[in-house]
Amino acid sequence: MQTPMNPTVSAPQGKPLASVLRFFQVFESVGVLAMLLIVVVAMSIINPVYLNLNNVVNIVITASIISVVGMGMTMAVAMGGLDLSVGSIQALTACVAASLLDTTNIPLTIVGTLLLGMLIGMLNGAIISRLRVPAFVATLGMMSILRGAALLFTDGQSILIMGHDDFARLNTGRLLGIPVPFIIALITLAAFYILLKHTPFGRHVCAIGGNENAALATGLKIGRTRVLVFGLVGLSAALSGIMLSAQLLIVDGTLGTGLELQAIAVTVLGGTSLAGGSGNLPGTLLGSLLVAAISSAMNILRVPPFYQYLALGLLLILALALDALRRTLVKRAMMGEA
Amino acid sequence: MSSTMTNVSETPEARPRSPLYWLRYSITQYTIQWLLLIVVIILSLANTNFRQPANLLSVLLQASFAGIGAAGMTLIIINGAFDLSVAGILGLCGVVLGLVLPSIGIVPSILLALVVGVLLGVVNGLVVTKVRVPAFIATLGMMYIYLAIGFIITNGQVVPVTDASFRSLGTGNLLGLPIPFLIMIVTYVVLYGVLNFTTYGRFIRAVGSNPTASRVAGIPVDNVQIFAFALVGLCTALAGVALTAYLSSAQPNMATGYELRVIAAAVVGGTSLKGGQGTLFGTFTGALFFTVINNALNLFNVGAYWQYVAVGLIIITALGLEALRHRFAPASRG
Repeated sequence: MQTPMNPTVSAPQGKPLASVLRFFQVFESVGVLAMLLIVVVAMSIINPVYLNLNNVVNIVITASIISVVGMGMTMAVAMGGLDLSVGSIQALTACVAASLLDTTNIPLTIVGTLLLGMLIGMLNGAIISRLRVPAFVATLGMMSILRGAALLFTDGQSILIMGHDDFARLNTGRLLGIPVPFIIALITLAAFYILLKHTPFGRHVCAIGGNENAALATGLKIGRTRVLVFGLVGLSAALSGIMLSAQLLIVDGTLGTGLELQAIAVTVLGGTSLAGGSGNLPGTLLGSLLVAAISSAMNILRVPPFYQYLALGLLLILALALDALRRTLVKRAMMGEA
Repeated sequence: MSSTMTNVSETPEARPRSPLYWLRYSITQYTIQWLLLIVVIILSLANTNFRQPANLLSVLLQASFAGIGAAGMTLIIINGAFDLSVAGILGLCGVVLGLVLPSIGIVPSILLALVVGVLLGVVNGLVVTKVRVPAFIATLGMMYIYLAIGFIITNGQVVPVTDASFRSLGTGNLLGLPIPFLIMIVTYVVLYGVLNFTTYGRFIRAVGSNPTASRVAGIPVDNVQIFAFALVGLCTALAGVALTAYLSSAQPNMATGYELRVIAAAVVGGTSLKGGQGTLFGTFTGALFFTVINNALNLFNVGAYWQYVAVGLIIITALGLEALRHRFAPASRG
């Protein structure tokens, strides 16, 4: 309070701000990694089965499927948005992919399913930007609509994927010893990373997330950017739907319940702030590995499945609390009260 | 003063109004009530089964489960927040009620369930206000935590409820009306009183209209929000009591998707997601409207899965229409 208003605030207050920011930068890159290491080391001591190649591959595959959706979600959060409909999109696209397999070939199935997911996502974006409905309610409504669509599409039945060994290889295959799902996740990471950090589009996304009014005043095409970002979320959810159907080989309209929670959790765990304005995509991948490692640990320890919801919920609240703390500290440092 | 809603009648000139004006006024102010009336009349003419007294009573009964919870949701949305954890709260309260009912009797069990609901609401409020997490994400996380706690204490089993006099709370009639519907009416009357005639109730709307101004005016913003979350917990627990009695059993996931129906009733009733605006009467009508639509879908043999689609469409349409109304009538905004 007694410090005089200073036009060059950053100079005298640079020190606390820098140290706060450095702490969180270090935490963002190392914190999740440290938690991951703790889980892995603790589990390998408690039960060596945890480090079996099979189990590690399973963890990586589960993480890859979550991380693909998580990266889409990270783009939306960076733009100051949110998509609660990803679980329903995953269910619908997984069912569509399973039934397309029987009528066409694999490449067409994949392209068609991804296109469907992208269009659904763009519809989300159009509802949000044209009807001016807050993202979380619009996608909450779409979550219900698409869940109904998935159940109607399958008529409440399961769809078996049989006799498509090449499709199953999307899950079981290896390339240079690396599981294919992980390669898909890495390619998605690279593509989204380039989009977010090295294109005008990505800068617009962060600008809208940072300050929508300023972005509007600068003349950015907010509506179009928003439609495209939600299109990307839909695309990533559809990709995860394909990966999931290749893993399960039996799909139904109830898949993906609670996926929105996982996707948001890995995004926030990875260090993307809900305040918007930036996205940490590699962090999202690490966050997914952590969530998958914890869930595998709980399976091996024979913890009943509902404890996993508890763990995920608590993990999310913890990550959100850290995010809130970071925002408060950064704000305080910038105001010069640190 | 700032807590009263702006409406069209507050224009400065006090000239006498034409009947046309009053018609337009009642249509813009009571849109959902008119809509409900029209839909009910059309359905009564189109379908003989719809206008049977038994069917109409069942509509009232079905509307009350979402309706009771929607009262609380309306308050928290007016307060400018949101609660996605209601399905978890309802399930957990129902489970607690079902577990203690055989040992401690009806009234203490119900009271315990309501206390649990209030406590869970307070926990939500504390997480949102003290940890400073956006309400809709915090409550999304809390929903899974409550769901998990419910599964842990029941070990994943369904809790049966055999007490006949307790079950009549959900299935019985009083004065010719279903008891849950009477509970719903009492809930709305009480909450109307709380919202409009108590200091904290009026603070709820003030904080939702303008949190910064409220803080500057010395309103304990955090406590008001915790109070509103506690009311959501209370209403949801009450709905849990009625639903447990109606279903004669309780399980943690007995109300999956409940948040959607409750939010739908509130937004269809004209509650603005921007906070500050909304009426309990609107939500009451919204809950009835919504159940009438579902009932009609059933009567016309539309499959159950279409109801998911209907819920989502109604929410998005209602919000889209509200946005349009704001765009074309900017002067009516406060």
